[in-house]
Amino acid sequence: MTGTNTILEFRGIAKSYGATPVLQDVNLTVESGDFLVVYGPPAAGKTVLMRILMGLETPDAGTIHLRGQDATRVPAAQRNIGYVPQSFALYPHISVHDNIAYPLRLAGVSERDAEPIVQHAAEMLKISDLLKKRPDQLSGGQKQRVAIARGIAKQTDIYVLDDPLAGLDFKLREQLVDDLRGLQQSWNATFLYTTSDAIEALTLADRVAVLAERTIVEAGTPEQLYDAPERIETMRLLGFPQANFLPGEIAERNGSLVCRTPLFEFAVRPDNGAVSASHRSVTVGLRPESIAIASSGSANGAIQAPARVLLQEDLGGEEIVYLDANGVSLMTVVRHDTFEGTIPDRITIALDPTALIVFAPDGKRVGQGVPVGHV
Amino acid sequence: MTQQRGSERQLGQIIYYIILWLVAIAFFLPVLWIFLAAFKSGGELVRWPPKWIFSPTLDNIRDAINRPNFWEYFRMSFVFSIGAVAIAIVVAFLAAYSFSRFKPRGTNFMMFLLLSVRMVPAAAVVVPVFMMYNAFGWNKTFHGMLLFYAMFCIPFSLWILKGFLDGVSVRFDETALVNGGSRLHVIFRVVLPQVKPGLVAAAIFNLIFVWNEFLFNYLLGGKGTTMIPVLLATGVNQGGSVDWSFIASLSLIYMLPPIVAIFLFQKYLLVGMTFGTVRGEV
Repeated sequence: MTGTNTILEFRGIAKSYGATPVLQDVNLTVESGDFLVVYGPPAAGKTVLMRILMGLETPDAGTIHLRGQDATRVPAAQRNIGYVPQSFALYPHISVHDNIAYPLRLAGVSERDAEPIVQHAAEMLKISDLLKKRPDQLSGGQKQRVAIARGIAKQTDIYVLDDPLAGLDFKLREQLVDDLRGLQQSWNATFLYTTSDAIEALTLADRVAVLAERTIVEAGTPEQLYDAPERIETMRLLGFPQANFLPGEIAERNGSLVCRTPLFEFAVRPDNGAVSASHRSVTVGLRPESIAIASSGSANGAIQAPARVLLQEDLGGEEIVYLDANGVSLMTVVRHDTFEGTIPDRITIALDPTALIVFAPDGKRVGQGVPVGHV
Repeated sequence: MTQQRGSERQLGQIIYYIILWLVAIAFFLPVLWIFLAAFKSGGELVRWPPKWIFSPTLDNIRDAINRPNFWEYFRMSFVFSIGAVAIAIVVAFLAAYSFSRFKPRGTNFMMFLLLSVRMVPAAAVVVPVFMMYNAFGWNKTFHGMLLFYAMFCIPFSLWILKGFLDGVSVRFDETALVNGGSRLHVIFRVVLPQVKPGLVAAAIFNLIFVWNEFLFNYLLGGKGTTMIPVLLATGVNQGGSVDWSFIASLSLIYMLPPIVAIFLFQKYLLVGMTFGTVRGEV
């Protein structure tokens, strides 16, 4: 389990506040040089997990292994991790410049050596002109950038960024996402980054860990998690717009497995014989972008079904279309560069059966659709 | 119409200020009386109706300053006020940090207990304190007096400072800790600069308290530890009658330092009087 380059490992971490459990049996391994994004819905416990890593909270159970050593009881001051807290906590009594230089000053870096680091961090975050100001003279977004600058100014090998871009305007976010990614690569440092924004998670990460229901349900590369999630929570949480889910029933016909949904039937290829009689009722997951609006005629091997358009949400380059198909609500994405003209009220949807992922009631993936006649 | 309402409001404002000034003057009259009395001769002082125009004399002030031990008492007033408040602020700040951050079990009850010392009238605690000091052998000693005043200043300072410290987010502490700062660094370099107004408020309030304290100084103090208020009380009866000129002139001298201090730090005084709940612009 533990690779040679493992720099950080959570083992069986549990934490509750009073009677409310926040984290349960959290296991996660981080390789050196990884950009790992802990992704989860708001209030999932991401911040608590980061605070445990920083040494600001003590886990009720489990251990943290940092740079090859059990660090569960190591005081925060000795963990040597760069930290951008969710609350910026900029010192109001010193200037922006001194705030950014603060970790360096505490580490005993001389002023001469610290200055270029501060300047570089400020430049990257476009706050060079604010260095002389006091934090209370800054806007919310500016404070946030100062906090990020202070976090990355620390010279170390692990950085924790706790939802650092939340609430920033779109353009700045996009640019900072690129900058942070570039920074991490040029330093070859390990970044732990939390967010509740799926797109941010998928864009930034080498690996994504999905935190839901108080634990890490799944971790892997963005491609793995997006295209072939092992858990239903992963598919539900990771992606925008949200994935569609249909109730299904597994039945055996002519020696092969078939899944029946209110809309259509499709053949199922079980994962290692994972589908059995106990999985009779299942949930079928389907990404919105896998649903196409069929033009006349039909694509080969595609499943088709009639649907009614309920609502269209224009996002500029693409459109989210809410559909009602035989009483089942579905969402699809129509890209303006691939679909011309207006969308009629009544349409036929077409989808590739391999995009259908079958989950057992306990949330584990048990199979995938296969093209008709390919069983 | 609007103009009329405007002039009505103006009239209301004028009445408001007249009442305000009348109340202020009523409260200020005794001070004015002392001020004038300090420069009157004994005969003019007690004349009725009071004489507003008179030829001022500095004799009374000269007399007060030349009383035996005046400078010694004056010095002790400064030493005890500043010394006791300094000790109290240091202790109270550290205690307030602990209460605010570590929240030991029973914090609220302890905070209440501490303040209850100041709720009872001073006369009620005189006897136990006197007996305790006798047992320690601290009566009439310098350190006994100093520690007594420090002890009396701590609860109030603690209350004010805890209010301020609770207002300083613990996230500031954490940022320092994760960057390798020690607890002492957090306390003195991160938190302290952010509660300076609280420190000033607590200090100015207790300075005034110690400066004016009479009862304990009279009972627990002795040679070498007496402050001006005791001189004021004991010097009254010289010559068989009340020496108003002496009271007025000594009071005037003694009033000056706190008046200057209050003038300089008046905004902090409000903070103190409201236990740090009203911060105003500090």
